Amino acid sequence: MGKSGLVSRLVYPTRRYSWIIMIMPGLLVLVIFFLVPMVRLAQLAFYQPDPIWIYKPAFTLTNFAKFFSDPFYWGMIFNSLRVGLLTTVCTLLVGYPIAYYLSLSRGTERTILTAGFMLPLFVTMLVGTLGWYILFLPFGLVQRILQSLGLVSGPLRVLKTFTALVVVLGYLHLPYALLILVSSIQSVPREKIDAARTLGAPTWMIFLKIVLPLTMPGITSSAILVFALSSSSYLVPVLITGQSIPLLPIAIWRYTNETLNWPFAAANALILFAITIVVMYGLILLTNRISRRGKWEVV
Amino acid sequence: MRGRTMLKIYVYVLWFVMLAPIAITFPVAVTNTAYMTFPPIGFTLNWFKECFRDQILAETLIRSLELAALSATSAVVIALLSSFAFVRKNFPGKNLVEALFTGPRVVPLIILVLGMLLFYHSIGLAETFWGLVFSHLVITIPFAFRTLLASVSSLDIQLEWSARILGANWLTMFFRVIAPQIKTGLIAAFMFTFITSFNNVTMALFLSAPGERTLPVELFMRLQVGGISPKVPAFSFILALVGLMLLIVLDKTVGIYKYLAGEE
Repeated sequence: MGKSGLVSRLVYPTRRYSWIIMIMPGLLVLVIFFLVPMVRLAQLAFYQPDPIWIYKPAFTLTNFAKFFSDPFYWGMIFNSLRVGLLTTVCTLLVGYPIAYYLSLSRGTERTILTAGFMLPLFVTMLVGTLGWYILFLPFGLVQRILQSLGLVSGPLRVLKTFTALVVVLGYLHLPYALLILVSSIQSVPREKIDAARTLGAPTWMIFLKIVLPLTMPGITSSAILVFALSSSSYLVPVLITGQSIPLLPIAIWRYTNETLNWPFAAANALILFAITIVVMYGLILLTNRISRRGKWEVV
Repeated sequence: MRGRTMLKIYVYVLWFVMLAPIAITFPVAVTNTAYMTFPPIGFTLNWFKECFRDQILAETLIRSLELAALSATSAVVIALLSSFAFVRKNFPGKNLVEALFTGPRVVPLIILVLGMLLFYHSIGLAETFWGLVFSHLVITIPFAFRTLLASVSSLDIQLEWSARILGANWLTMFFRVIAPQIKTGLIAAFMFTFITSFNNVTMALFLSAPGERTLPVELFMRLQVGGISPKVPAFSFILALVGLMLLIVLDKTVGIYKYLAGEE
């Protein structure tokens, strides 16, 4: 600090422990309402369910044994993984070219495009979900458009299907991916692209050799985010597919509110969290291998 | 250049796809029938008028606005204080505290809310308004903290020294010296935490009392019953218009990409 440290001590004389007061409110809120509940959740997952007292505070692994011994629950993990991964891949494939275009756009065009692509962030997700529900209804636009193009003849059954789920989740989470991707693409140094072009590299090679590796950290963080959000989504599956596709978040909700088996709900939540973390690290490892850099950003 | 044109077409087609689900709520809301249908039969704005007459919607709207205002204000104040401590001071366990401040972002919402539900039941905060405010703070503080940390670290400390030497007290210094420099960061943090809190469904769905629904929970309940009345898309369309206006204003004033990148 040197001189500036001296001056600051002269100007703020009695402020040596002021940081305690300054972080105290935030620290208190997050310890009490984030850390303690998480510890409590982890603890409850190892308690015995009890019909009267909801749980008996004695250590047990029965909740996990029940989960892993039943193929139904394995199917649930598989479904949740499938929804999460498929949504992530689709969102990134659809989103990357858009992010590229957005990062080049300027002025009014940028505002107009941004307004359309970012709108889901500014309106409660129920509005977008309702919109897709209407579009997917038998009398909806999707049916009409596909029919007029001659792609389908009979009534479509999109609603309540896996496809509908992925479409809606992708729609809701595309803005998050775009935000990360746009800032990632914008930070690619212009000189590198110019240098490559001067040396005669075709556009596709510039993309493959420069833009893609340099934006890999952005791709990973957006993939992690989209996966975490879509694999844990409860509201969209409830509204779009109902109970027809068993998913972990729906099970968590059912055990919490309907059967009041809180220890089992907690065990389900821990398993969902574990899956998120495993996929997260898998993606990070994959990126490091592709871009051969130890750099990545977690949201 | 052919590739550029194709990219442009692709982007604009996707732009329409993104707007379609929100735009479709308008035509289904102007129908003369008591159920949603497309294309609409007849034309009426009655369903929009109905929204403004709906007592329950008004009641839940006020509750949601209160909740969002309260949690956004507290989140910004809390985050501002802690970001000053983070930028200006070194203290033991700083990394751990930082992990705690950003931690809620990596935990899926449904897991967070389940933990809170279990915890609230044991301390008697379940189904209370304050319990809901604190749960919203947990998701809004990390965002406000991240945004303000960037603003506070760009502050010019010499201006504060000058202000102190010239005899300004803390209040004057904050409002005349600090606040003007971090204005956009403060606006962005407040607006985005407000919007996050106002739009959040999950927290209130698990934690609020049955008679004290927030607006999104009320909408969710109306979506879950069969035979959705055209009033629901009408109201959704109004919400989308408000959201669009906020978006454009924010993009013009503080810039969306700068402050939202990496937001969950």
